[in-house]
Amino acid sequence: MTSLIRNPLTIVWALLTTVTIVSSLIALEGGAAHQINTTVTTAVLLIAAIKAQLVIRHFMEVRRAPVWLKVTTSGWLLGLFTLLLSFYFASL
Amino acid sequence: MTDVAEGFTPGVGKSRSDDNRRDHVPGDSSMWFFVIGDLLIFGVYFVGYMYFRGQNHELFLQSQVRLNLDIGAINTVMLLTSSLFVALGTEAARAGNRVAALQRFWIALAFGAAFPLLKMFEWIPEICSGLTPGTNLFFMYYYVMTGMHLCHVALGLVILCFILRNLKTSKAPQISFVETGATYWHMVDVLWLVLFALLYLMR
Amino acid sequence: MSGSVAEVPKAPTPPAERATSWRKNRKLDQWIAFWSVPFFFNLFGLVFVPLSWMMPPRSPSSTTPHIVDFMQSHNLLIACVILTLAYGLAPVSNACYLMQVRRMSVSPAFRYSMMIGAITGAIVGMLFPMFCFGLGAFRPGYNSGVLTMLYDFGYLAFIGSLGCFCVMWMAFGLAIILDENSILPKWLGYYTIWQYVTELMAAPVWIVKSGPFAWNGLMTFWFAMTLYVSWQIIVYVCIYRAIKNQPEAELDNASAELRQAVELRSGTSA
Repeated sequence: MTSLIRNPLTIVWALLTTVTIVSSLIALEGGAAHQINTTVTTAVLLIAAIKAQLVIRHFMEVRRAPVWLKVTTSGWLLGLFTLLLSFYFASL
Repeated sequence: MTDVAEGFTPGVGKSRSDDNRRDHVPGDSSMWFFVIGDLLIFGVYFVGYMYFRGQNHELFLQSQVRLNLDIGAINTVMLLTSSLFVALGTEAARAGNRVAALQRFWIALAFGAAFPLLKMFEWIPEICSGLTPGTNLFFMYYYVMTGMHLCHVALGLVILCFILRNLKTSKAPQISFVETGATYWHMVDVLWLVLFALLYLMR
Repeated sequence: MSGSVAEVPKAPTPPAERATSWRKNRKLDQWIAFWSVPFFFNLFGLVFVPLSWMMPPRSPSSTTPHIVDFMQSHNLLIACVILTLAYGLAPVSNACYLMQVRRMSVSPAFRYSMMIGAITGAIVGMLFPMFCFGLGAFRPGYNSGVLTMLYDFGYLAFIGSLGCFCVMWMAFGLAIILDENSILPKWLGYYTIWQYVTELMAAPVWIVKSGPFAWNGLMTFWFAMTLYVSWQIIVYVCIYRAIKNQPEAELDNASAELRQAVELRSGTSA
């Protein structure tokens, strides 16, 4: 059992779960709902990107994959979140 | 980020054989073709959502409030936990430990099955209170994106069942098949992480 | 090559003979079906776009005078005539897929599902719109209410007829992925699964009449079309390769010598 807890994958999971709760709290507490809030949005989107990267690199084992796969997945993540944040800020 | 995890005391998966696994594409490479393509397709939906949101912040903000953030967050944790056990199960299968692999995949299936169940608790009250895809653009995006995602989850659960059957019945577990299915399941998780932030959290 | 008993003469058609008579090509039926497709699609494209401006789809929230004008336009009439005459090519082009699916190791249930999916899809997705727009074009004198209904019916049938094609693409995709004979590449199977997804994406057209999810919307029409057109081109390249690489001995109309050669090699009696 302890070997499971000390498994790097479990550590990553604990990090992911904590960060999920944190970002949920940020959304709930960070200012009134019904209102645009750039801080909250930037924070939750960046956290989502980090979470996705963790899952891709550790759970999906891309960290041990050939370079082309690393570049493609990181590229997707980078491209997506750049576009998302750009569209968001451009519309304000 | 990656170095932090690697520095910890080695657990079950960390053995000398791991060093031989550089440059390893997990599972069937055609599944990766599917995964990347699916990520791109959903990507277009995500960006489209953000674009149209930008044209009508008011509408989206007002509508977002009606969503059940609690269930959204719980569902996120369900999928993350399910993914964890899929990854642990894959490690166990690779180490040849059939019993552990089966146990972990069963747990993964249980957490995964919780997702559609909780979704029903989320959607049914919403639909009953008159929030349908036709209500406004936010809700159309909400139902279409979470609906497409739910179809992916359903397919993923079927794949997990096939993995369980393979682990139970074959003499030696087909690692490639297990890895391929695992890759699909983790993709479903990644998609939800983005959906959760876009639909429930962002302001 | 199994070490079989008798010396079996290899009996493929000698190159000289093959070059001089395309009519003796055993795969002629498949090639005709194959090449009917670009012809069919180009015709379709011509009819739908520059001739009648049916495509890209007109707005579901058009005003009544616009709808009436369109339904009674001269160009729509010509478009419908061509469509009526060319409709028969639809089954021929589908035969192309099915010939190759037949070679796969999967259950015949897949190709029957594909067949029925294609049939129902063609009826609902092509025949119904043809009737609707045809009625507007060939029968003057309907009042504007009726014409509006026909307009809605026609476009919804064309774009909203997802169920039939869902089944077809799912069966095709699964057949490719599960096929042990690798007739078509595995990644194509996954690409075909996305066709299924684009059909599902079209579901919202029944609900909204404007915005990105209407039948002329960014998500349901333009994005879906991008995925569909690229897939269609790629699938035909793959089918082309599959027909080309199909061993002559496997064909239904293979010559007697070839068939004998295959049987002797595999140990079955003639």
